[in-house]
Amino acid sequence: MTTRGPVVLVARRELRTRMMTKANIVSMVVMLVVILVGAAVGRYFLEREGEPPTSRVAVSAGAGALAPQLRSSADAAGLDLELSTLEEDAARQALADERLDGFVGGDPASPQLVVPEGEPDGALLETVTGAVRSYVVAERIGDLGGDPAAFERALASAVPQVETLQEASGGGFDGAAFGVATVMISVLLFALIGSGTMIAMGVVEEKTSRVVEILLSTIRPTQLLAGKVLGIGLYGLLQVVVLGAALVLATRILGVASDISVDVGAALMWLVIWFLLGYLVFALLFGGFAALVSRQEDISSVTTPLMFLLFAPFYLTMFLVPNDPDGTAVKVLSQVPFFAPFMMPVRDAFGALAPWEMPLAIAICAVTIPVLVWLAARVYQRGVLHTGGRMRLAEALRG
Amino acid sequence: MSSLEIDHLHKSYGSLRALRDLTFDVKAGEIFGFVGSNGAGKTTAMRIMLGVLAADAGEVRWNGAPLDLRTRRRVGYMPEERGLYPKMKVGEQLRFLAGLHGMSPADADAAVTRWTDRLGVGARRGDAVEKLSLGNQQRVQLAAALVHDPDILVLDEPFSGLDPVAVDVMSAVLRERADAGVPVIFSSHQLDLVERLCDRVGIVRSGQVEALGTIDELRRTERPQWRLDVQADRPDVVTAVSAVPGVLVAPAPGRTQAVVVELTDSAVGAEQAVLAAAMRLGAVREFSPVRPTLADLFRDVVSAGEAAGEPSQEPAPDGRRRRDRRKVAA
Repeated sequence: MTTRGPVVLVARRELRTRMMTKANIVSMVVMLVVILVGAAVGRYFLEREGEPPTSRVAVSAGAGALAPQLRSSADAAGLDLELSTLEEDAARQALADERLDGFVGGDPASPQLVVPEGEPDGALLETVTGAVRSYVVAERIGDLGGDPAAFERALASAVPQVETLQEASGGGFDGAAFGVATVMISVLLFALIGSGTMIAMGVVEEKTSRVVEILLSTIRPTQLLAGKVLGIGLYGLLQVVVLGAALVLATRILGVASDISVDVGAALMWLVIWFLLGYLVFALLFGGFAALVSRQEDISSVTTPLMFLLFAPFYLTMFLVPNDPDGTAVKVLSQVPFFAPFMMPVRDAFGALAPWEMPLAIAICAVTIPVLVWLAARVYQRGVLHTGGRMRLAEALRG
Repeated sequence: MSSLEIDHLHKSYGSLRALRDLTFDVKAGEIFGFVGSNGAGKTTAMRIMLGVLAADAGEVRWNGAPLDLRTRRRVGYMPEERGLYPKMKVGEQLRFLAGLHGMSPADADAAVTRWTDRLGVGARRGDAVEKLSLGNQQRVQLAAALVHDPDILVLDEPFSGLDPVAVDVMSAVLRERADAGVPVIFSSHQLDLVERLCDRVGIVRSGQVEALGTIDELRRTERPQWRLDVQADRPDVVTAVSAVPGVLVAPAPGRTQAVVVELTDSAVGAEQAVLAAAMRLGAVREFSPVRPTLADLFRDVVSAGEAAGEPSQEPAPDGRRRRDRRKVAA
């Protein structure tokens, strides 16, 4: 029998019992609902406030030649134009009924603008004025034997080419990038705490219920720990992917995806990669350390330092990185395995990474993990059959 | 013949020496009773057999080869501290354990059904273990030890907490496994049960086997003893019986009237003379050979240790002789 069999069996049991827990299903559903309802509510408010002004404008058949200019002029003014063709009488009726915001009639070169009441809307007036001007200019150029289209093109390209010699140095605060990054590392923190706690509780549960003695008469402690880390890791990954996908979906619902400069898909990919690395780093520690205690009440004495190890990088990332995404302190810390899972994706979202930084951080993590496997397995092996009070770490390491 | 050999095991927890040179063997098809007072080292020995603990020195062998992980997967183990996942369903849990022992899902399923039915918890397969009564949890625990059809059975206190019916079922199962050629070793404080069920018994004290052999071998006394109850004053009885040459008389423990008569080597066959002497005094109400029960032997071994002044392992000369007598070559 290979060693794979028991590991897979243990992992499958973990995955199945975690997934089927009522509490976990409920919390997952609640979070999904919160994210999606939040997105829907957010969209409602965004639309109500940021709705672009729409103007319903009719032109008479006589002024129909103005239509193309009205459209391009409205585009330039950021006005959402709904253009129709109406005879003056019908248009006046529509204006009275508030089905229309303006009517352009008469001579296209000096048309008449009819509005329902008061002064015409500034954007509307600007649009119509611009349209009439370009119409007249085009007419005159045509009359002078020129090509109005070529003139328009020449005019459109008549803007200065801006060249910046030096990038703005970190001063620019990118709100969207910060938002995406914050949400991402929050999901990461949530998933790491969740799965780390789950591993710690699982280890102690097996100790408290003594089932560990039966298990260890059949399989090696390392197989048990590996299966547990694997099974709960898969469950955590599932959470990250589901929550991450819900967040991506939320940005779609909000319609802000196209507005922010961050590639949300790539961000999600990095989130998954850093979850996996961060998970291995922390899960092994949670599993190994939890074996030192024998009662659920004592779990916090071993998980508290680990929680600190999770929260410190999280908050440091939140405070340090947005202000100075490529400062020296941030650069150095983001190569440290405990900090990298939080700092790297955020720095990436800010576009502050040199090409070599991410691969180096991943490599350092990958090298650290076998060391942690060894450490965790050693502590776990010594601790898991120890009953009674808390076993000291040094004791477990010494053996 | 295949046997499970426990060979010179030593184990210390810090300054506490839990096992000192523990040695015995259990043959295939034999039920071996492992008795000893609390803290004598039974659980430690069983944990070492299962590889849950590492011995400081010594070895456990099965068929001459050290008991490694692969062989241990073929052992059925019931730890003293019962252990199952409380929130896992009985059937699911047993299937999981059977899988860890290397059974295919189909075999595991069949075995789980067979053993839960046999042990009377078939109706509870779909319930979480924590919902079961302690007695039923105990049956599930036994099912966990039996589900993979083990080649060796090691059971720590399998009878504690069982009702008489369950004890009968459990006894029958152990006998059946032994008859199928499985060495069965179990520890128990229910000495009457051990006496009834076991082919051989080992009594441990302070991590050492103090007595080892079949029940009959252990109960055989060096000098025949008779209990005598005569309708007369006890001092008179003592005086009269002591007159028979080579006979030692002492008050029977726990009795007001009776005496215990021990026949020394020079007095072999003197019981008729003793009886005749007694009958001259009055009506003889009881005259029967005294064979120590396992409980008597057990108390003997334990008190011998106390007399020898624990934890020193230098027993009084007579103490050693008595123990040597009971270490009957298997």
